[in-house]
Amino acid sequence: MKAKLEVLSKDELDTIYQTALKILEKIGVSIEDEEIIKLLEKNGCKAGSNKIVYFPEKVIDRCLKSTPNRKGETTLCGRDPLKDVVMGDDQKYPYVISHVLMNYFEGLTDTYRTITKEDIRKFVTISDYLDTIDGIWMCTLMPDFKEMYTYCEYELAVRSTTKPVCVSSFEPSAIPPVYDLAAALAGGEEELKKRPLTVAFCEISPLTWNKYGCAMLKATARWGIQPVITVETPMGDTGPATFAGNIAQKIAELLSGLVIVQLLKEGLPVFFVVPLEVFDMRTAQICLASRGDYVWACAVGQLEDYLGIPIISPISPDSKLLDMQEAYELSFSLIPRILGGNKATVIHGLDQTHAINNELLLLMDEMMISVRRMLEGIDVNEETLAFNVLEEVAGKIENDRRSGHFLNQRHTLNWYVREHRPRRDAVIDKYRREKWIENGSKSFVERAHEKILEILKNHKPEPLSKEIESTINAIHKKYNIPDL
Amino acid sequence: MADYIESISEAVLKYDVELVKKLVPEAVESGVDPILIMNEGLSNAIIEIGDKFGREEIFLVELMIAAEACMGGVDIVKKIILEKKVDAVKPKGVIVIGTVEGDIHNIGKDIVKTLLEAAGFEVHDIGVDQRAQNFVKKAIEVNAKIVASSALLTTTSPNQKAIEVELKEAGIRDKVKTIIGGAATNADWSREIGSDYYASTATDGVKIIKKYFEDVGK
Ligand code: B12
Repeated sequence: MKAKLEVLSKDELDTIYQTALKILEKIGVSIEDEEIIKLLEKNGCKAGSNKIVYFPEKVIDRCLKSTPNRKGETTLCGRDPLKDVVMGDDQKYPYVISHVLMNYFEGLTDTYRTITKEDIRKFVTISDYLDTIDGIWMCTLMPDFKEMYTYCEYELAVRSTTKPVCVSSFEPSAIPPVYDLAAALAGGEEELKKRPLTVAFCEISPLTWNKYGCAMLKATARWGIQPVITVETPMGDTGPATFAGNIAQKIAELLSGLVIVQLLKEGLPVFFVVPLEVFDMRTAQICLASRGDYVWACAVGQLEDYLGIPIISPISPDSKLLDMQEAYELSFSLIPRILGGNKATVIHGLDQTHAINNELLLLMDEMMISVRRMLEGIDVNEETLAFNVLEEVAGKIENDRRSGHFLNQRHTLNWYVREHRPRRDAVIDKYRREKWIENGSKSFVERAHEKILEILKNHKPEPLSKEIESTINAIHKKYNIPDL
Repeated sequence: MADYIESISEAVLKYDVELVKKLVPEAVESGVDPILIMNEGLSNAIIEIGDKFGREEIFLVELMIAAEACMGGVDIVKKIILEKKVDAVKPKGVIVIGTVEGDIHNIGKDIVKTLLEAAGFEVHDIGVDQRAQNFVKKAIEVNAKIVASSALLTTTSPNQKAIEVELKEAGIRDKVKTIIGGAATNADWSREIGSDYYASTATDGVKIIKKYFEDVGK
């Protein structure tokens, strides 16, 4: 990855980090769990009144050191190990994970409805098919799934993809069946230790681990699950409206989670999910796609490098339709993250993290091919400078006029595809107007919809083996889960 | 006298918390009726600010700070009333608010609460992650006329239905009105569970509640 946007100097990063340490040491974190408070105290933190715990720098340093993926590789494991997402310095391009949410938006008819299991299967199947999508994140909380939504979402997703599946959860009671299925998919509990399941849960800003968060911290440690600490500090709401202070607060909150994880289970890999939200003071809504997000997105890559731990920063347009606002918010959220060197991003669909849409996956696919290419930058060498070719082309003279061009040059044949990544299956329209009319005057959404139907017809995700199916049956019986 | 009422209003409109706190006791000292300060000086100003926010002319932060200025003044007036044993001003209406069981999202609920308080209602906030029984218990305890609940998760909105059920069980469903809100709710859901009102924004919610209390005359 060559192109790189840097918006913070080393000094500025140090200052922000030092402020985060000061927040942890002087303001402290409120923790609603006696056991965790005791554990922190035992390890050198100070507990004050009101369940507030103060973290000295040396405890943080120690825990950062025992985090095995820090400054190394962080892996999201897929059913197929070849499809693993391996975040680290050696990754070739930024990863993109598609996110399943609780509503589905029908692009052709502009209708909005609660998501169904069939919608999930289709969305995950398309994500499985597309090369630019590297994994799936699940959080629908579909009422059908009752108390076992984390499990149901996990099973539905792994059935339709061999790529990594991560889940968000705040229900420790739904973890055991997820663990059982993950162990079966990994090939046993020992294997699962090496290829852990990934589960995300939330801290609560400002600076609080409530009973749900604490229960999830303990559950992940208990089951050896790779925890993803999620921190949201909407600017101007539960975090300062200024970027520097907001980033410092986020870092403090993330580190507090990391410390607890390491003290509960030393050596457990951990990483972060951080939406960059702004509280919209006009509408009183928390928006992920905003000017604040675009500014800040430039810095995420630098921040994760500084901490040595990946920060996945979800992208989520606020638009309610597949319209110009949607395209604007998607691209402005995506490009600064990618150019800033962010290792991975999760893309939600539309409507403020409330809905998904299949056609949008093809827009993301197109955008990702472009941004990956942008990252590769411009190669400058004798071949690419093309002096000799130009000399030859310009040297062709007929009727006293230069008549040469590059269309028939071997140089073009060699370099057009390499430099421009053209696609024969492009959904983006490049026809002449007459031809476009002849083709039915279709919009992007209509064309994408046709392509989606084609993918769904032809792409069959790798089915689960008979053994896994029988494990699933047993899980359903044991935990009283209906077949999905 | 009119000058004081006007300056207090202006101080609220200028988000000047300190000035409000300074002017209110001064006004009382110079003989202005505390109830007039409350109803004309403070209340009118915050209603005007609330409307401005509703018309999207000002930002929420301005409204919140004005509300704080207003409540600072209200607190002082209340204290003076207590000390001077003036006939207590009745609140415009008593409301219980909270976020339902299993749900810790408090941001929306807190905005609704602040706006209601600023509009002069007595609001009892029971907090987040609260069982239906707790809404009912509090409603009985404080003799509330409105039970307001917030839910942001599709998994927790059913707990708003539980509030309806519990209110019936306690035999007070016909004595209170219920209003629901939060990202996981909508008008259909409100109809389905039989809540009396639904609002998609805090300002709409306050408008509905204001209208209700005006119609029933407290
Ligand atoms: C901020 C946030 C959080 C914060 C909450 C911080 C806090 N102190 O409240 C944190 C990070 C802690 C959090 C946690 C979780 N969250 Co959350 N969160 C959000 C987010 C981004 C914004 C919510 C918000 O505060 N909006 C701003 C307020 C002002 O809006 P509002 O609540 O709608 O309120 C307005 C109106 O609705 C109205 N109103 C609200 N209440 C009431 C009540 C009455 C009576 C009236 C009249 C009006 C009214 O007035 C307000 C102003 O107009 C939303 C997504 C989004 N963009 O909306 C997800 C979202 C709600 N969360 C979601 C989820 C899944 C979770 C978690 C389960 C994640 C996890 N795996 O841990 C946990 C839940 C834990 C729990 N037990 O509750 C999902 C819900 C999905 C679903 N199917 O329901 C959402 C939609 C995001 C997503 N798609 O994943 N979350």
